[in-house]
Amino acid sequence: MRTSRLTTLAAVSLFSLSMAACGSSDSSTSSDQPAAAPTMTSAAPMMSSAAPAMENFGAGCAAVPTDASNKGSFQAMAQVPVATAASGNPLLSTLVSAVKQAGLVDSLNSADGITVFAPTNDAFKKIPAADLKKVLADKKTLTDILTYHVVPGKLTPADLSGTHKTLEGKDLTVAGSGEMFKVDGTSSVICGNVQTANATVYIVDTVLMPKS
Amino acid sequence: MRNLLRDAAAGVLAAGLGIAVAELFAAVTRPDAAPLIAVGGAIIDATPTPVKEFAVRELGTNDKPVLLASVGLVLALFAATLGVVGRRRRNLVVVGAVVLGAAGATAALTRPTASWFSPVPSLLAAAIAGATLWWLLRTAVGPANDRTDVAAANDRTAIVPTSNRRAFLRGALLVAGAAVLFESGAQLLIRTVGKVRTTLALPAPAEPAKPLPAGIAPDFTTPSATFYRVDTALTIPRVDPDTWELRIHGMVGTELKLSLDDLLKRPLIERDITLNCVSNEVGGPYIGTARWLGVPLAPLLREAGLRPEADQIVARSVEGMTIGTPVATALDGRDTMLAVAMNGEPLRPEHGFPVRMLTPGLYGYAGACKWVTELELTTFAAFDAYWVKRGWARPGTVKTASRIDKPRPFARPAAGPVTVAGVAWAQRRGIDKVEISVDGGPWKAAEMLPVPSIDTWVQWRLTWNATPGPHSLSVRATDGTGQVQTADRATPFPSGATGQHTITVTVG
Repeated sequence: MRTSRLTTLAAVSLFSLSMAACGSSDSSTSSDQPAAAPTMTSAAPMMSSAAPAMENFGAGCAAVPTDASNKGSFQAMAQVPVATAASGNPLLSTLVSAVKQAGLVDSLNSADGITVFAPTNDAFKKIPAADLKKVLADKKTLTDILTYHVVPGKLTPADLSGTHKTLEGKDLTVAGSGEMFKVDGTSSVICGNVQTANATVYIVDTVLMPKS
Repeated sequence: MRNLLRDAAAGVLAAGLGIAVAELFAAVTRPDAAPLIAVGGAIIDATPTPVKEFAVRELGTNDKPVLLASVGLVLALFAATLGVVGRRRRNLVVVGAVVLGAAGATAALTRPTASWFSPVPSLLAAAIAGATLWWLLRTAVGPANDRTDVAAANDRTAIVPTSNRRAFLRGALLVAGAAVLFESGAQLLIRTVGKVRTTLALPAPAEPAKPLPAGIAPDFTTPSATFYRVDTALTIPRVDPDTWELRIHGMVGTELKLSLDDLLKRPLIERDITLNCVSNEVGGPYIGTARWLGVPLAPLLREAGLRPEADQIVARSVEGMTIGTPVATALDGRDTMLAVAMNGEPLRPEHGFPVRMLTPGLYGYAGACKWVTELELTTFAAFDAYWVKRGWARPGTVKTASRIDKPRPFARPAAGPVTVAGVAWAQRRGIDKVEISVDGGPWKAAEMLPVPSIDTWVQWRLTWNATPGPHSLSVRATDGTGQVQTADRATPFPSGATGQHTITVTVG
């Protein structure tokens, strides 16, 4: 009983510390307004923007560079939009070249808040080389496959499990909980909840295919 | 275990009170000398340049709150440890407090705007935290010299006498309450600057802006609340307009010192100007247009008698930021100004209250110093400003660019006529033409809405007869010099991104 009271006290005093650190009286309101023409979210740092959990999870996160000066590190990726973030990460170079091939760099970078299931280079290696080459050469198929990896809105780990409509149009299904998730029954999330400026990324070990 | 938690809590509470008192004290005297702010600022400055190339390139995200929260967490852990070890070795409380005080004081002294006074809030915090922890531990377990090691060892297994437990809880609550009180006071005080801001009377401009041309789309002007913000300020500087002063010095005949009143007595101009950030990606959000009110810079520089060899204006902010702007861009007839208002109200604190610089045609990092307090006339050979030291290009001329805002990427419009719309900008050169290409096909000219001047973005639109299926839409602009926006991709570093914004939509 007493322990919990003391913990509460400690929490209260920590809270007052963090208020002191971040308190700013009139931080501007950030809103994704419906676009008539130019719209932008205010980039002002504020309490609410500090809220998204930064914790990444999964064994695959160990392969992500820890040096913040590295473009592929979590810290660096959090500062830039998703396609730029991925291009800094050597684990995702095949995905990045596919995104460039499909002409989706700007679309991903200027989308308003999305979730991306990002297959690693190893995931692409599971596809027979001849098939991969064919897909990369076919813009329509490539675009369908890539947009099948993108879900509107930023999904937190708590929201991840379930069926989600992809930008390609068909649904994908995520099963699991905690730190173990599988997409469409075959693709495991190996590093989850990676933050970029406009997207939450789940790195997966197998390329997803829209059901035809 | 219970004692451990109690002692740890005592440490954290004591540190919390010390910090809260120092916050209030700093808010009254020097806001940038508040201990956590000083330490956080020192960490930012000590961060190696390569880290900043990424972390700082897309500033204006949540890196600062996270940094400050981490500093607070480390402090809390240190304080908790101090509470635990300090129970039996009371002298360690003093040692710990001295270490904390020294760390905060050193950090405060390394700040660019440091004075002899800067370490005071940190030392105050350490003294109060140390004394409070001593008192709390004494309340909990009695005077240290009353106890032998045996008694202390027994203490871990024996039940603590109820009176001590109650006394400690009372003391702890008292300390927590005081911390909250002091902290609220500090926050309240910080907010009053915001109140002063809203009561600042703005004189009428000698040269008002022309009304926006008819036919302009309503969101031509970006509301101040959603205007982008990219800077390195850990906390938004709160500047007292009554004591604010601008010093113009360096390669001048006579040094000028101006109060805000002096500045506001001068003839003011009002202009619509688009401002953008060099770190904006192709199609990115770091751009906005506002109606600015300010004092033209050229007459001030001439009044100070600027010497012909000066080719750089180094603007310094109250928190030590330096922005280097070519002297030529203040004298060539463009509306380079010291702005005091944005969209009809005094600058918001996050946009540089009370005064910021504004140079049409230059990216913010090269011409738009916020919270400016000093203009030093010098040369580019003699001084590299903050971002130039970090590898960013000078002079920072805005590149011709354009952006599709409608439809949104990955949208699914119905087949038939679809309005494609957006903005294009090339401040100081203006935009002659905006063209759209569907699926890499021939470029089609878009309709351009009227603009007040060549210093703002232009809104454009095109009706596209959309056919079912996936399509890509690209935009390119031609500036007033006839230069067509390049398709070549460049990253924002070091001189601004290039490339044609291209989005994908699926017409269904």
